[in-house]
Amino acid sequence: MSRGAVRQSPRGARSQGQGPRTGSRLRAWGRHHRAMCLDSAGRLLKHPVGSLLTMLAIAIALVLPAALWLALDSARLLDAELEESATLTVYLAHQVDEAQAGRIDEAIGAQEGVARTRLITAAEGMAEFQQALGLTDALGRLDDNPLPASVVVTPVNPAPERVRDLAQLLQEMTGVDEVRLDLAWLERLRHLAELGSRVALALGVLFGLGVLLVVGNTIRLAVESRRQEIEVVMLIGATHAFVRRPFLYSGAWYGLGGGLLAWGLLGIGSEWLAAPVSALAASYGATFRLPQLGAAGSATLLICSTLLGWLGAWIAVSRHLAEIRPR
Amino acid sequence: MIVFEHVGKRYGGRFDALANLDFRVHRGEMVFLTGHSGAGKSSLLRLIMRLERPTRGRVLVAGHDIARLHASQVPFYRRQIGVVFQDHQLLLDRSIYHNVALPLEIRGVEPREAARRVRAALDKVGLLHRERALPIELSGGEQQRVGIARAVVNKPSLLLADEPTGNLDPQLSADIMALFEDFNRIGTTVVIASHDLALITRLRHRMLRLRDGRLVADEEAA
Repeated sequence: MSRGAVRQSPRGARSQGQGPRTGSRLRAWGRHHRAMCLDSAGRLLKHPVGSLLTMLAIAIALVLPAALWLALDSARLLDAELEESATLTVYLAHQVDEAQAGRIDEAIGAQEGVARTRLITAAEGMAEFQQALGLTDALGRLDDNPLPASVVVTPVNPAPERVRDLAQLLQEMTGVDEVRLDLAWLERLRHLAELGSRVALALGVLFGLGVLLVVGNTIRLAVESRRQEIEVVMLIGATHAFVRRPFLYSGAWYGLGGGLLAWGLLGIGSEWLAAPVSALAASYGATFRLPQLGAAGSATLLICSTLLGWLGAWIAVSRHLAEIRPR
Repeated sequence: MIVFEHVGKRYGGRFDALANLDFRVHRGEMVFLTGHSGAGKSSLLRLIMRLERPTRGRVLVAGHDIARLHASQVPFYRRQIGVVFQDHQLLLDRSIYHNVALPLEIRGVEPREAARRVRAALDKVGLLHRERALPIELSGGEQQRVGIARAVVNKPSLLLADEPTGNLDPQLSADIMALFEDFNRIGTTVVIASHDLALITRLRHRMLRLRDGRLVADEEAA
């Protein structure tokens, strides 16, 4: 009698009436969480087909952005490799001899923003050229080597603007005839990747909202079907958190289930596409494997989907709790 | 225990459900609230339960102006009041045991302690043997007793009842009222809204009569 007595102030009632110690309150809280976690799972299992359909809807909403994200991830890897190979070719003037070329190479190497240089003397250039073209005989007949010496420069920062600045700088050095940089295709690729990642982001946001709506709608119906129960427990002193809890767990279960299904679908999808992709890559003389989610990616997918489910449930229940007032 | 100071409740800006109510209920009292349906009995109880706030005046319970409770405090306030409803508001998909255990579950009472208290409450209303039954398997009078067990399982110091004998025959009604008297005897303040004058005049407790939202008589126990 005494603990729950109304004579205590509401504040006091709040701290004392709930249980004698924080420890027991915490235990009670944990007990309710455990109970609701299991209870909500049980409710989902009671209607396996309906639950599965909801999860499938979530999974489908997740698969597309996840797949796009994977594709972009591999594109980014490719891009990084290409950047590595973003080099400038500095052609030296014809009258520059080998010793001078060596000095110019050193001078270029000393420039700020230059990571590495490789000097290709006129003779080496000729040899490479002959080898590449298989024109040993024809070129051998030339009296003079028409090729200039050149320096291949690897910039520290492969960003196009920087590379262009660097080119400008090198152009003005004495003994330099011409600086070649072919960045247009690299830039195009970069723009494409940027476009792709924005599309992926937009799709991710849209489909994430889709997941919220799917879960929200399902939870809304669940709240509606348990309206009487909610009213009763609120009449006898349940907090909003208490009422919300089972629904939040349902939402999280839906999200997790949807995430697992999406994970499975991605696996099946990449398995299904693996053969044609590698065949295609082989025809270009490349080896390319479809990217896999990996442990971190899988964890991210499942955590995101669970959180989305939880959030969707939160929104739906909170909206509803404001409406439900005990009669 | 309960103090009404010039309390008025107006709905929709025009209709006065309650007007200028002024009374107190002392700790340990048992009070009947009577009047025709629509006289304002339920509205008055709703004010005490803090389901609504008065549009005028103050309602004090245990010295606190309950209109000033923050929304987050209201659940904790309600836990200290036992309420019995006319339609008993039992959860139909749960056993009698779990219905009675609900307030304890909400308060996070440890399960073993909860079981002890639920059985004590069910024993008190004479339904211990039906603890596994579902509400639908019980008669109207039994359902109402389950509602009472749920209201008292928390051992509240204030017990409210809104037409607890509304649908019951005279004998069952008398049994239910006797139960309330038992709780009152151990110190619980009890406020019962009822229009069953024949029954409540016989019981000789204080009676507050409402008519059109006004207190027209306050008859002390004879």
